[in-house]
Amino acid sequence: MTHVLPHLLNGLSLGLLFALIALGFMLIVGVMELINLAHGSLFALGAYFAMVIVAPDVAWLGAAGEAWLALPLSVRYVLAILVAPLLVAVVGMGLELCMRRTYGRKAEYGLLLTFGAALVIEETIRLVWGPSERYLQVPQAISGAFLFAGLVYSKYKLFAALFAMAAIALVWLLLERTPYGAIIKAGAHDSEMVRALGINLTRLRLLVFGLGAGLAGFAGIVLTPIWGLRPHVGIDAVIPAFLIIVLGGVGSFWGAVIGGILVGLAVGVTGAYAAEWSLLSMYLLLIAVVTVRARGLLGKKSALEA
Amino acid sequence: MTKRVSSAGRWLPREMAVLLVALATLPLWIEPVGLYQYLGVEIAIWMIYGLGFNLLLGYSGLPSFGHGAFFGIGAYAFGLFQLWAFESLWLGILCAVFAAFVAGAVVACFLSHRRGIYFALMTIAFGQVFWFIAIKWHAVTGGEDGLLNIPRPALDVGLASAGLESNTALYCFVLAVLAAVLVLLWRLVHSPFGKVLQAIRQNEARARFVGYNVWMFKWTVFSLSAAIAGLAGSLFSMAQQSAYPDVISLHASGIIVMMTLIGGGFVSFWGPVIGVTVYFLARDVLGTLTETWLLWFGLMFVVAVLFKPEGIAGAWQEHVGAASGRSRARRALAGLLSTGRD
Repeated sequence: MTHVLPHLLNGLSLGLLFALIALGFMLIVGVMELINLAHGSLFALGAYFAMVIVAPDVAWLGAAGEAWLALPLSVRYVLAILVAPLLVAVVGMGLELCMRRTYGRKAEYGLLLTFGAALVIEETIRLVWGPSERYLQVPQAISGAFLFAGLVYSKYKLFAALFAMAAIALVWLLLERTPYGAIIKAGAHDSEMVRALGINLTRLRLLVFGLGAGLAGFAGIVLTPIWGLRPHVGIDAVIPAFLIIVLGGVGSFWGAVIGGILVGLAVGVTGAYAAEWSLLSMYLLLIAVVTVRARGLLGKKSALEA
Repeated sequence: MTKRVSSAGRWLPREMAVLLVALATLPLWIEPVGLYQYLGVEIAIWMIYGLGFNLLLGYSGLPSFGHGAFFGIGAYAFGLFQLWAFESLWLGILCAVFAAFVAGAVVACFLSHRRGIYFALMTIAFGQVFWFIAIKWHAVTGGEDGLLNIPRPALDVGLASAGLESNTALYCFVLAVLAAVLVLLWRLVHSPFGKVLQAIRQNEARARFVGYNVWMFKWTVFSLSAAIAGLAGSLFSMAQQSAYPDVISLHASGIIVMMTLIGGGFVSFWGPVIGVTVYFLARDVLGTLTETWLLWFGLMFVVAVLFKPEGIAGAWQEHVGAASGRSRARRALAGLLSTGRD
């Protein structure tokens, strides 16, 4: 059975990354009851923003760009990881402003609108950065490989898993240990009561959407060195995200984390034995779980079902 | 209002006649206006697909984001039949429709007790399953390249036989199929069955309380819609002489949603017909002007969802409705679109 362990570890780290992708999606679906199909495009956008910040086009910026590129890569990388998600959050807030017109109508309109937004963002990326594969440089310190128990592991994958854990922990702290988290959860539970208590729900939604979009961008930055960067990389992110949310239960924080890890394990372990079919396993997992438990593993009754 | 009833009861309403005449004369005028014969084939095939899809989206209010799967299954089934069994038009199409129907029926078993967003999510998941199978099962589907060199079998009607190698001949055949689908669906949506579908869209719980077996209706309409997508898919594999996984992707499944919605599938029977035409004209006309035509089409879609979810047909109805009572001619034109839905 020693053969299984590396695959389990691999699956676990993949699962943490999947959970990271699903986090922002979970926040938006939990509070706003909106399936954000643009999540994947925001994910890609975050990675592209980071790429521009790490290695801007010198011809464009002139001397300032030269000076910026002279800085060590790690400094630029840290800045990218801080600033790019903020930029994505701004884009997300813009999307939320458009979304307001669909509130109060059938939930499908939100779905359709975000689908259109996904297409627009993806095509804009294609227009600005071209259709070919791009790369995001990462600092020397977290690239390369290391040996552990006689097996080679990618150093970056370890760091990515740590990033994911950090983000999960931060979101947990925000949701469970701050008054903002209490408001967010209350907003998801009973928006009218929250409004009646004098809380500005409109602003709350804007901020939550921004936060969800920012998390999508952050996930994009973390995942890109592993997945590569193409305009349509978003589709590889949004599908697992929604799958994990449905699997874990809509609006449940731990549902998203557990769902992510389960999907990661399923993909990792099947990947070891039938690499061609590894991604299929997550759909089969979803269909199996949802057939038995209609609301997912930890889901409660949601307004989305009406 | 009285006109609606009479038109709905007819086998060949006036707008359908107008559409069919326009399409039937298309081989004569499409090249002079600067387009090409094959475009007509594509538009007609997608109209069949869109009309079938709108049974779900527009009539039953069931947003399927994985419908490309059934289109693809039809295309593959037709191709495999020609390549593995023997060349036969009718049997190939039958096989495609049956395969898509069976796949749809199985998927519908998992979907029919779901509503709204959950329904949409499950259709995405199933669509992706079929997409993966198409890409990975090399031995059968040919992987990412798909099936190549699918023949266009001759049209055999008893004693007579006609080749479909030329695009014009194929267009005539596809148009005949489209006409049959139009008539059948028109009758279907104006039948008691169609009324129940609309009741389910408006309020599923009430439809159930009235005593309809909602699960059964949803299962039936999903399977039927899948079978029609399969029919369109089989024609598509004939047109392309190949079948490939692109048509199953989430992207392609989303495009049919966009087409149907932009055209006005929510309010009119003719929504998908308009939407498909607009999409392909946008692709060919905008496509010659700019490489990023899909960006503009996407923006158009976003604007439509935000400001006019009733789509082009809805805008037209309103425009005509505002002027009604003043102009009889306009009212007659309104009939073109408003008869689609009560």
